[in-house]
Amino acid sequence: MKVDRDALVATVSRMKSEGFDYLVKVTAVDYADHIDVLYILRNTDTSKDEILEVMLDPEDLRIHTIINIHKSADWYEREMSEMFGIGILGRNAPRLLLEKWDGVDPPLRKVFAWNAAYKTKEDK
Amino acid sequence: MPITRINVGPVHPSTHGVIRLVVDLDGDTIENVEPHVGFLHRGVEKLVETRMYMQSTPYMEKLDYVAPMSYNDAYVAAVEAAMGIPVKERAQYIRVILLELQRIASHLLSIGTLCNDIGQMFTAFMWSFKDRDIVLDLLQEATGSRMFYVNMRLGGLHSDLPPDFEEHALNTLDYLEKRVPQYEHYIERNPIFTERMKGIGVVSKELAKNIGITGPALRASGVNYDVRKNSPYYVYDKFHFNPQVLYDGDNFSRYKVKILEIKESIRIARAALKSLPEGDALGMPVKLRSPNPKNRISIVSRELPRGECLMYLVADPQRPYRLSIRSPCFINLAAISHIAKGERFADLFGILGSLDIIMGCIDR
Repeated sequence: MKVDRDALVATVSRMKSEGFDYLVKVTAVDYADHIDVLYILRNTDTSKDEILEVMLDPEDLRIHTIINIHKSADWYEREMSEMFGIGILGRNAPRLLLEKWDGVDPPLRKVFAWNAAYKTKEDK
Repeated sequence: MPITRINVGPVHPSTHGVIRLVVDLDGDTIENVEPHVGFLHRGVEKLVETRMYMQSTPYMEKLDYVAPMSYNDAYVAAVEAAMGIPVKERAQYIRVILLELQRIASHLLSIGTLCNDIGQMFTAFMWSFKDRDIVLDLLQEATGSRMFYVNMRLGGLHSDLPPDFEEHALNTLDYLEKRVPQYEHYIERNPIFTERMKGIGVVSKELAKNIGITGPALRASGVNYDVRKNSPYYVYDKFHFNPQVLYDGDNFSRYKVKILEIKESIRIARAALKSLPEGDALGMPVKLRSPNPKNRISIVSRELPRGECLMYLVADPQRPYRLSIRSPCFINLAAISHIAKGERFADLFGILGSLDIIMGCIDR
């Protein structure tokens, strides 16, 4: 299900009241021209999964947190923010979760050159 | 009273790997736990984007080094779903048998180390390691390797079961069935264990769903969700078994669910062994070029020993475009600050042990 970025929090909140009370995963996919942020929600009673897709412009990578609705979004959002360089609005900026990353590009973006020489922000 | 900050780890015998916990204490009561992870971060999700599909299977096994086959199966299943390759019927049965044996081995290790953490119950630790070794012998017989198996192939397996495997496996399952009540007898009547496990680290059903814990920890809080039952894969729907659900949500329930799941796994493995069909179980040999995927996006969910693993695979010809792994330990550890708040400092390791985390799985 495609969701507009501004309608995300309201949609997740409405779906929680409809029984989708378990957040399976928050992740992102970099399609070069846009980035899809995916929220996989589950209704544990009916075992039905629903995937919310939010399309982001690479020039404007910001999305609102859903931590107030699903506490489990905490680490998923932090990981996604770190790996894709997506800014999470509405929550305090915690320290990096998985890596002390001083590189130029976020590791899971397609612009990240995995086989090139390692460059830090100072090099650029 | 002023808040005291204690740093646990990264190298600490009770942390089951390299993890650092920064604990804020008010006297002896935990105010906050902040886990610091990432010491084993290898960037597996990026690494698989640079390799051919079947070149990545050994990386998947290193994620959870206590139950490697389960992770390998989840990845291979995702690739099979992307390419639209059906799994041969005999191979499905063999996969169920091996995965359940892997679950037994993993739960035995988890119970043993928990007993060791909680009160120097070293006997249970030695017992469980001895029994786990017998299961590993069986897996070695079937796959040729003790720890990292890499025996899953597209559509089947690397090799069929050896001729007398069935007899050996049934004997081992009979032996384990006699052993599990001995564990219960020894562990659950020990006051050191029960005093430190019952009523500690309680997670209510609502909180369990909200903080997203998964696997045995979720079922110990009264949520009846098991991927094997709720969205069955392979031939799990042909066997009669029940997801083991307890309602207390404390450390003891999380331990007890694992004991009950070992019993269920024995039942499933035995039923699968007895109804094993004849035929071919071999999958496609690993070649550098694999068939081109039919589906761009495939989502596969598997019940690992530690909880649900979800693989979100965006497929390109020959190699994954993006693989997102939902690690069960990652979210179980993220929940520890909610679970441990208000408990005593000494009980932190009981909670950590009962959540049963593996650092390779968290950091990826």
